[in-house]
Amino acid sequence: MAERKTKKETASTKDTTAAVTKQAPAKAAIGEQPQKAKEARVGVFICHCGTNIAGSMDINAVQDYAKTIPNVAYVDNYKYMCSMPGQAVIDKAIHENKLTGVVVAACSPRLHEPTFRTATKEGGLNPFKFEMANIREQNSWVHMHDQEGATDKAKDAVRIAVAKASLLEDLFPKSVPVEKAAMVVGAGIAGMQAALDLANAGIKTYLIEKTPTIGGRMSQLDKTFPTLDCSQCILTPKMVDVGRNENIELMTYSEVESVEGYIGNFDVTIRKKARGVLSVGEAEAMGIVGGGCNGCGDCEAVCPVVQPNTFEEGMKPRKAIYIQHPQVVPLLYTIDFESCIKCELCVKICGEKKAIELNKEDEFVKVKVGTAILATGYDIFPVENKTEWGYKRYENVITSLEFERLICASGPTGGHMVRPSDGVAPKRVAFLLCAGSRDNTGNGKPYCSRFCCMYSLKHAHQLIEKMPGVQPYIFYMDIRSFGKMYEEFYYRIQDEGAKFIRGRVSNILEDPGSKNLMVFADDTLLDRPMKLEVDLVVLAAAIQPAADTNRTRKLFGVSCSMDGWLLEAHPKLNPCGTTTAGVFLAGACQAPKDIPDTVASAEGAASAASIPIHVGHVELEPYFAVCIEEKCAGCGMCVNLCPYTALALIEKDGRKVMQVTEAKCKGCGTCGGFCPGGAIWMNHFATPQIIAQIDAFLLGGEQ
Amino acid sequence: MARIKGYPEALEAKLRDRYVYGEDTNGKFTETVEKISMSIPHMCYQCGTCTASCPSAPRSSYRIRKFVRRVALGLETEALTDPDLWLCTTCYSCTDRCPRDIAPTDVIMAMRNLAFKRDIIPVNFLKTVQAIYTTGHGVPNNDVNRAARVKLGMDADPPTTHTYKEFIPGIQKILDYYKLKANADRIVKEREG
Repeated sequence: MAERKTKKETASTKDTTAAVTKQAPAKAAIGEQPQKAKEARVGVFICHCGTNIAGSMDINAVQDYAKTIPNVAYVDNYKYMCSMPGQAVIDKAIHENKLTGVVVAACSPRLHEPTFRTATKEGGLNPFKFEMANIREQNSWVHMHDQEGATDKAKDAVRIAVAKASLLEDLFPKSVPVEKAAMVVGAGIAGMQAALDLANAGIKTYLIEKTPTIGGRMSQLDKTFPTLDCSQCILTPKMVDVGRNENIELMTYSEVESVEGYIGNFDVTIRKKARGVLSVGEAEAMGIVGGGCNGCGDCEAVCPVVQPNTFEEGMKPRKAIYIQHPQVVPLLYTIDFESCIKCELCVKICGEKKAIELNKEDEFVKVKVGTAILATGYDIFPVENKTEWGYKRYENVITSLEFERLICASGPTGGHMVRPSDGVAPKRVAFLLCAGSRDNTGNGKPYCSRFCCMYSLKHAHQLIEKMPGVQPYIFYMDIRSFGKMYEEFYYRIQDEGAKFIRGRVSNILEDPGSKNLMVFADDTLLDRPMKLEVDLVVLAAAIQPAADTNRTRKLFGVSCSMDGWLLEAHPKLNPCGTTTAGVFLAGACQAPKDIPDTVASAEGAASAASIPIHVGHVELEPYFAVCIEEKCAGCGMCVNLCPYTALALIEKDGRKVMQVTEAKCKGCGTCGGFCPGGAIWMNHFATPQIIAQIDAFLLGGEQ
Repeated sequence: MARIKGYPEALEAKLRDRYVYGEDTNGKFTETVEKISMSIPHMCYQCGTCTASCPSAPRSSYRIRKFVRRVALGLETEALTDPDLWLCTTCYSCTDRCPRDIAPTDVIMAMRNLAFKRDIIPVNFLKTVQAIYTTGHGVPNNDVNRAARVKLGMDADPPTTHTYKEFIPGIQKILDYYKLKANADRIVKEREG
């Protein structure tokens, strides 16, 4: 009954949310606070967390002390406050003791603040009349061997929390509408899968890709472990689906230029890089009947400029007007204006189709989306930095991605595996695992790149299968075959005859005559150093976040971890979310991932990104800043300080005052701390509340 | 002994107990070596880059990787009594390449210091000490070198204590302060009479 009544009350107040929050500061003017504090009746609930807390401090002493704190009307403890019975204790105590505020001394608010807010609400109070005292992460866990000190610190924490709880205000979350469109940045397998899922859920999706074609890294691969599917064969159907899907607006050769707004209402500006070639649709829109690029390739044939094809890792030439490979989506040529000499041979041969425009400039398009997914992927670590292995110094030392292109039937050699120095098929091939991964020297990556073990096993298999008599040697430290059917794949490759040597290669020397390579390693299992002559060395190079990741993440306000990978909201429980509401992560931009994990992550991100769109509105934590207009001098100094561009100066009643866009405000407090006139009220972290906390700490409970 | 019933000595050695026992490990040893070497041998993941880089390993039984392992496990006696400890040329190739950023060379040097405290040290190292004491050089100049230097257009002796002999007492003062010379003399005498 009580619960229902509360909900009704909340519902009726919701309509007047804006009015209530605006009035809050005026009502709670600093002078009135002590009066309010005197009326407060706070309940304190101390959690044992099993022995997590109770094992390191004297719960009874903390409880006895809490009873002596001013405004405390009720104190209790429970083995697990977060359990259903624990929450019931709070609910019951609020009703029986007419509490006005609740303090739970337990774990981090990051973990259970939502739980106890709900419990507070069930008890009939506004959920924001709750304050948490962290006596686990910041106390019992770090002072495990100091019972007395931990108990004293817990008393302090409870006293401080009570001081704040006595002054807390009722707050009401603000609801904002969500644009029914989404954006996916990056069209590798992660971005494509996320875009397909969103589009199939009925959401208009903008898919932004910086290169001329979708497909990403996966389209460069020959086969995929452990099933040995042809990578292109399983990828191209998806590429075609993306190209055809009515809900997907594909923007290739485009980059995100700027992002404004907040969850539900992101205004994104996209730079469409000058491609120099009109699509059929664009030509039609310009009134060129039957025109536009149909991918015939006549222009490529006449173009006199030759450049390395980056898709083939530079091992194949392309022209200045090019497609990267025959299966590109969209099938649309692109002019590399860096190298184009504007000879106009292509324009002539294109003729009536009029698809080529040599004077094209970058265009800017603005779109509005509710949520966004970053799927910016990875690059290969510049493994030439590890000079001991001689990459780029010795011709026959290649990376695994180059190996993929060399063994791929559509690659530069038509699938004939040859070594670069002389075009001869190699007989002995060494694979170096952890080439730059698991490296703490600073010249390398400290993390495991996660899929190198498996693709190197696959490479060994491909050699054995395609070229009988070839001997692969795999130099490894640990074989990490963690996925479904991966260990079985390892068993299979060992059975096929690959030789596994447990030792990291210290250095490689080249025989200048034969261009053969001497590989030096310690066979740690035999306990003997080894010098092995091979024809080809394949470096399983570490991976790192794609080149533009840092620029893109800053546009969307997403953090990154120490190694540059984008930071998830929680590594276990919210791996697709970020700390910026409405922005999600898919695939390897968050951390190294193989294809199955990438696709799973993309589907997770798509699901998460579709939730606010399907709900239609989002509730924002009501922690925003509020301008106390009577005090505001209109100086505008706060406007430039705001990291979220949430503040603006407006004309009101003939004078300038600051106005907060509440949906943009994150409640960081930068403006509130700075305002020289004290005219900015931070909801839930108001000056009198914080002063009361400081006083409670410094005065040790004396009033 | 008797129960092995007359096996040859080599076979008896092969059949000895090879278990690592808990008592053999000494955590203090790991700490001490880390403190002296200012390195982190306990972080070794045994990849073998050090041994593969080592100019000594292909032509000796010296395995730097095994020494680092012994430090990680605290196998003090096994590490300090192994004569291979003295086969490191201190070329620092392993330190250059170690992916865990350990300085294996410095770990070896730390263990040599600890071994010397127990008088475990090959005589040739002590003779180096004596040579430094008398000439200021571990490997003093000789006539062949002098001739080569002159042929290359250099002074016969380098601009070190060979040329400025007045600085030798300074070096001797340092060696005396740490009783290095006295200990070297004592041990050499004990071994060679």
